[in-house]
Amino acid sequence: MSGIIRVERLSKSFESKERKKGQRKKIKTVHALKDVSFEIEEGETFGLLGPNGAGKTTLIKCLTTLLLPTSGKAWVNGYSVLDEEDSVRASIGCMLMGDRGLYWKLTGRENLDYFGALYHVPKVVRRKRIDQLADLLHLDDFIDRTVETYSSGQKMLVAFAKSLINDAPILILDEPTVTLDVPTALQLRKIVRNLNEAGKTVLYTTHLMHEAEELCDRVAIMDHGGIIALGTTQELKDSLVREEVVNLEGMFPAAAVQAVRELKETSSVVSKTEAGGRTSLAVMVGGNSEALSLIIEALTRNGAKIEHVRTKEVTLEDVFIAKTGRTLDVDTRQIVTEGGAGGGKA
Amino acid sequence: MAERRRGGFGLGRPSWRASAGVVKAVLIARLKIISRYKGALLMDSFLPVVFAAMPIILGVAVGGANAGTNFSERTGTSNYKLYMLIGSCTFMVVSVMLWLIGYWIRREQETGTLESIFLAPANQIFVLSGVTFYALIRTLVAFGSALLIGSLIFGVNPFEGNIAVAIGFLAIGLIPLWGLSMLFGALILRIKEGNSVIQLMTWVVSFLMGIFFPLTFFPPLLQGIALLFPPTVMNDAMRAAMLNLGTFFGSWYASLAVMLAFAFAVPLLGYEMFAHTSRRIRAREGVGQY
Repeated sequence: MSGIIRVERLSKSFESKERKKGQRKKIKTVHALKDVSFEIEEGETFGLLGPNGAGKTTLIKCLTTLLLPTSGKAWVNGYSVLDEEDSVRASIGCMLMGDRGLYWKLTGRENLDYFGALYHVPKVVRRKRIDQLADLLHLDDFIDRTVETYSSGQKMLVAFAKSLINDAPILILDEPTVTLDVPTALQLRKIVRNLNEAGKTVLYTTHLMHEAEELCDRVAIMDHGGIIALGTTQELKDSLVREEVVNLEGMFPAAAVQAVRELKETSSVVSKTEAGGRTSLAVMVGGNSEALSLIIEALTRNGAKIEHVRTKEVTLEDVFIAKTGRTLDVDTRQIVTEGGAGGGKA
Repeated sequence: MAERRRGGFGLGRPSWRASAGVVKAVLIARLKIISRYKGALLMDSFLPVVFAAMPIILGVAVGGANAGTNFSERTGTSNYKLYMLIGSCTFMVVSVMLWLIGYWIRREQETGTLESIFLAPANQIFVLSGVTFYALIRTLVAFGSALLIGSLIFGVNPFEGNIAVAIGFLAIGLIPLWGLSMLFGALILRIKEGNSVIQLMTWVVSFLMGIFFPLTFFPPLLQGIALLFPPTVMNDAMRAAMLNLGTFFGSWYASLAVMLAFAFAVPLLGYEMFAHTSRRIRAREGVGQY
């Protein structure tokens, strides 16, 4: 059986103009997507996880027909994104630009009615559907006010309602909780889960680990335009089962950090220096029982002062760190040129 | 190929009723939006009057009591006030159409709603048709009210010629204007800059249309260039009908034939160019990039 979304070796490159002071304008090729292949099964909640610039939004734009890929193929609900654009569009409900994409001089209800018409939802059905969505998302207090008077969270909720207006079998959500406060984000995630349980296939992009862990059946971790890991959240964590994450806090000179990196028992070392010179180290170690003592020895030998040591449960962030050597906070937009997906020790 | 399940609404070929629904929804949304900008229509009505007042007053200052006679020797009518009022009202129709449709694309791009439109299965030609109907309503209301207000202020009778024929020419002239707006929209999508192009076009268009003088004043080459621009022919024909003058082509049916040819060719060209540009943009940076 093949998936409801199928992507085969999809690539997308852009010509980008680089303007540096005192230099002539240079044309640079940016590879936003590189040979991406995966499938999403019907009824799944599939997460795309990665830092800014990893290629998540480019991939979504190709799947929603907003961008034509440079090479490769993709099918959504059985329709080719290259040749059957209108059928692809009718098969998906999208929330791509956060609170953008609404007419500010129209009310929330008028916006939903307008976009419902663009999806060919009959007028009678549209009215009922808007009322249902207003109930579901608690829009009643503000749906009849013009959007210009809304808070960011209210705009996001109406934009989310817009993605549901055509009752499509596939829901594509690009960082839908990005400007929401914590309770509203929780509420939205709960609704996404309910919609998934009701049969909708969900493609959800985020850079928040806990969202992906909470919602997604399977997750693809993206970096530098490619998929670097794919599986259920448990499978991804299990891929590091022989490894443990050791967090150390204290004062660590560069030589001490380098000494830890050089140990063959460590697979990844990420250091973050905080205010006052305190450093925290996240060290991925193999199943070797002596690893911890070797790390401590390497640090103390090089003048480090260790204040805290603790081991922690593997998270998706650790999977990302293990694969790339970086944390998800890193913006990779500047490094998506010719190089492949990064990896190894940082 | 991926598995095919039931789609959302809009899967399959939409009925004419559904497509008409798209046009209606866009038209109503645009009308609601403009109704929430107080005074926009009032501005539309007074602008051509102010625009016509400048050459009329200049004409009186230069020609004095003989202004009408001098004007009649060169144009065939002494009613220079109505002549210029018709020109500025027609120019206003052309300018507002170009602005509303051309700048609409840019504005939608900036607010993020253009991507939302491209995400929907509705054919963009119907969305564009809705915007065109809105532009038509707005320009016709502005044309009518500006002509009436201007006639009252300048003390002229707009009904002295054949107003029904003039409206006919206006109706046919709006079809190539729609095509021209699509061409203009494609240009704005491509170069991602609306204001300066529109500002430049406004002055070029007003000059080429000959809104304050007959086309015969142009040298032959410029006459040929001006006549390639459909609103020039529309303006010439409308003015001829309302002031009982001959058209540039000699008879009204020759002008009608030229306008019908424009009405057939220009929208096809405009649509082709718009479709080509939007596909080109999707192949490059995407419609949302601005």
